[in-house]
Amino acid sequence: MAETKAQKISAKVWEENAVPRHRIQWCPGCGDFGVLAALKMALTKLEITPYELLIVTGIGCSGQIRNYLNGNGFHGTHGGPLAYALGAKMVNPELKVISMGGDGDTFAIGVENFVHVCRRDPEIMHVVMDNGVYGLTKGQHSPTHGRGMGLEVFSEEAPPPFSPLRLALTAGATFVAQSFSGDPKHAAEIYVQALQHKGFAMVNDFSPCVTYNKFNTYDWYREHVEEIPADHDPSDLNAAWDLLNDFDRRGRLPLGIIYRNPRNKKAFRRAPIWPQELADADVRPLLRLFA
Amino acid sequence: MIVNNLKLLVGGVQLRDGVVTMTDVLGRIMTRAGLYVLAMERGYASTIYGAHQFDPMRITETPPLSWGDREVDVLIALDYDSNPDAAPQPNRDTVLRHGRELRDGGVLIYDSSTGEIDAGELERRGIKVFPVPARTVARDELKRDVVKNIVMVGALFRVLDFDPAGTYFRTLIEERFLRKGQQTVDINIRAAQRGRELVESILQAKGWTDVGYRLEPRPLREPLLLISGNEALSIGAIKAGCRFYAGYPITPASAILEFMEEHLPKYGGRALQGQNERESIRAAIGAALAGVRSMVGTSGPGLSLKSEEFGVSGMTETPVVIVDTQRAGPSTGMPTKSEQGDLYLSVFGGHSEVPRIVLAPATQEECYTLMMEAHELADKYQCPVFFLTDLNLSEGRKAVPESFFLSQKARIDRSTLVTEEDLRRDGAYRRFAVTPSGISPRLLPGTPGAVFKASGSEHDERGFVSTDPLVRKAQVDKRLRKLQTYLKEDGRPPQVFGKVEGRPVLIGWGSTRPVILEAQQRLQARGIEAAVVHFTHLWPFPTEAAKPLLEQANTVICIEQNFTGQFAEVVQAHCLVPVRRILKYNGVPLYPSEIAEGVEAILRQGVSTVRITDGPVPVKVSEGD
Ligand SMILES: Cc1ncc(C[n+]2csc(CCOP(=O)(O)OP(=O)(O)O)c2C)c(N)n1
Ligand code: SF4
Repeated sequence: MAETKAQKISAKVWEENAVPRHRIQWCPGCGDFGVLAALKMALTKLEITPYELLIVTGIGCSGQIRNYLNGNGFHGTHGGPLAYALGAKMVNPELKVISMGGDGDTFAIGVENFVHVCRRDPEIMHVVMDNGVYGLTKGQHSPTHGRGMGLEVFSEEAPPPFSPLRLALTAGATFVAQSFSGDPKHAAEIYVQALQHKGFAMVNDFSPCVTYNKFNTYDWYREHVEEIPADHDPSDLNAAWDLLNDFDRRGRLPLGIIYRNPRNKKAFRRAPIWPQELADADVRPLLRLFA
Repeated sequence: MIVNNLKLLVGGVQLRDGVVTMTDVLGRIMTRAGLYVLAMERGYASTIYGAHQFDPMRITETPPLSWGDREVDVLIALDYDSNPDAAPQPNRDTVLRHGRELRDGGVLIYDSSTGEIDAGELERRGIKVFPVPARTVARDELKRDVVKNIVMVGALFRVLDFDPAGTYFRTLIEERFLRKGQQTVDINIRAAQRGRELVESILQAKGWTDVGYRLEPRPLREPLLLISGNEALSIGAIKAGCRFYAGYPITPASAILEFMEEHLPKYGGRALQGQNERESIRAAIGAALAGVRSMVGTSGPGLSLKSEEFGVSGMTETPVVIVDTQRAGPSTGMPTKSEQGDLYLSVFGGHSEVPRIVLAPATQEECYTLMMEAHELADKYQCPVFFLTDLNLSEGRKAVPESFFLSQKARIDRSTLVTEEDLRRDGAYRRFAVTPSGISPRLLPGTPGAVFKASGSEHDERGFVSTDPLVRKAQVDKRLRKLQTYLKEDGRPPQVFGKVEGRPVLIGWGSTRPVILEAQQRLQARGIEAAVVHFTHLWPFPTEAAKPLLEQANTVICIEQNFTGQFAEVVQAHCLVPVRRILKYNGVPLYPSEIAEGVEAILRQGVSTVRITDGPVPVKVSEGD
């Protein structure tokens, strides 16, 4: 009981310093509402305060999420959120840094940042709000467009979708999971684990675009998603690949944690922050290099 | 006999002959001997191996005005093998390329390991020629091919009658090589000794008692540092509190990245080698967002790629210092040649209108001081601050007294930051509050009591996206108003050298100041009194200071290293005076005599633009660069 009360109070915290509900610009029914709800649940559960949080987002319908909940928010370029997040995390590991982007944002224009942040493995959670289209620019194909369609429907100009999970695994991500915004409670559980991961955590979240993606609808996802079997060992990379192959073969989409294997690595040291901690540095030792 | 005033040039095959090591050794020793060294017009190629490389160095007793003209007093040719295109001169690119630059009465020392050159023509010009078989000595006697350049160091020192006891040389070699073992030190010392002996016997055979040039150590009042622009600006950044640096390797900015990777961690900072230009600048913006003074460095092609983020920094009001070490040409142009071609990109680059500040240091000293200012301005005005150097300045080295660096203090202005107490006092925090100065209170994430919402999309005072016309106008006005505040509070007028009224005025920006000042002197000697007006603070353009000044001039001539006269256009547009131009863009540094001639041509013949070309290449030489 006490727990519920605490949750209620803190859940409300996420409504402050945010765009009021009635001004949210997403289409009614957009999958992004589910992502937002899941995110708030996870943050509440982990008792994160808005002050220590930095949410960096991409450009697109997805990118607007930063304005819809409390916490420090930054919204830069299309494709850029992971790199801003990386910089912030590198200098201040005490910040809780979350990056949110669309599938276009992450896998098209931002793929350069995505691939390398997987390798770099900073302690950042990145949620892809994957709707298979470019929502904000009104429905063009994204790299995950055509999920679940037969191969014959694709042309040279509109190639078949690729698998975000495979890309993340290949690039060396140490936490790879998938969720569905139609089930925010489940998604929230995954975010909680992603936020606790000591490294880069990528969650691909199916977030239907009700306006432009008439194929991958909520119903379509409900028919195709399937929870990862309880006996799957996420720390086993081969098992992760086998799982993906198995789901592909069966035309199913896995939900849950596909791979989780934190690296044993040195923690970032916090850099002196302007201006509180900045003293006039003694550069004499550097100058002596040139004597 | 000329004492303590000469220009020497060392040439050879890149990555084989040890040109850079040799000039490094020479430069260090000379500064330790209390002499001023300026080595700014280095020639190297993008091909890593095999191209011709040269490194000129001016050595003087008092600080030189500039690197001077092309002429050299002493030429050292480290290359020994044949140039297939030059049968009559078996020895090689350096002599072929630079023989003409050698002053009558000068000195040539060359590696004669594979045969002697036909020195007749040179000797007719009074040049003293020293064939020194450095490579043969190194390879056959000392069994260490690489010390051939040290044989040449010894030879040169004997020619210039410098360091007879070998003390300067020994100290430096021990410092450098003792960790590699006593044997390495000994070999180097023997190599230098052999060089001396070889020259000694030539002197005796020819009966020369002196060669016309000498170097003498000067009493050292305080240490001189031999430092490049890249190094000076890196230390300046660290001094100013920059604790995050990101770069993607590119000539000639890579040295900053390498320096920062090595040294920034010692100051609690971090350097990131980005996976591309965009990751670099985005990470830098992210670091700044978290409250750390941060910087990126790049050159033209990288600046183009970063231009998307100029707007992000300007719009989200996140400070970032962007160093652009300009190199020649669009696209990949000429990566190892210098130009001042990126002014437009820095001043106007990016879509729409971005508040920004553009600075350009003229000297290694200013690389240091202006860099400190760049970080201060970035923090105060919360916008991108561009820092335009160029290849000559950033790779060129100069002897600067250490005390100069030690006398500078970093300024850390806290006025734009909201603290926890501020927040407790007046609750509602607005990241983009409209203020008379245009500067809004900045909040660092992690501060209890408030959060910020920053967006590159147009936003209201609280940072929420908005397209309300009134909001839009207020925010644009606010952001661009900063620049007015900057001009009032921190802008710097151009530096004026000489009397402007009724005189020709030479305008310059960035690294060309020293040559323009030397040109001014040359003109004076020819009876033309010109003033020099030099800008380090380029944007926003200081119209109020510059216009009344330039209106008094009789002719305004802008000198820059590009085709169009980018700065000339800016000056003309803001000051409404016609601006004539002297332009050079062939990748070769500007020389004072060229400027002086250009000025005369403009004044006498009334031409509006002089485009400088170097003379024709004297001999066909092997390609490679
Ligand atoms: C450099 C750049 N190119 C193009 C755009 C236009 N643009 C805005 S949002 C968007 C696509 C968004 O798609 P996605 O990332 O999948 O997010 P969604 O809107 O579907 O949530 C594009 C192409 C832009 N803002 N910036
Ligand atoms: S267009 Fe699609 S993605 Fe965008 S808000 Fe509407 S439903 Fe959501």
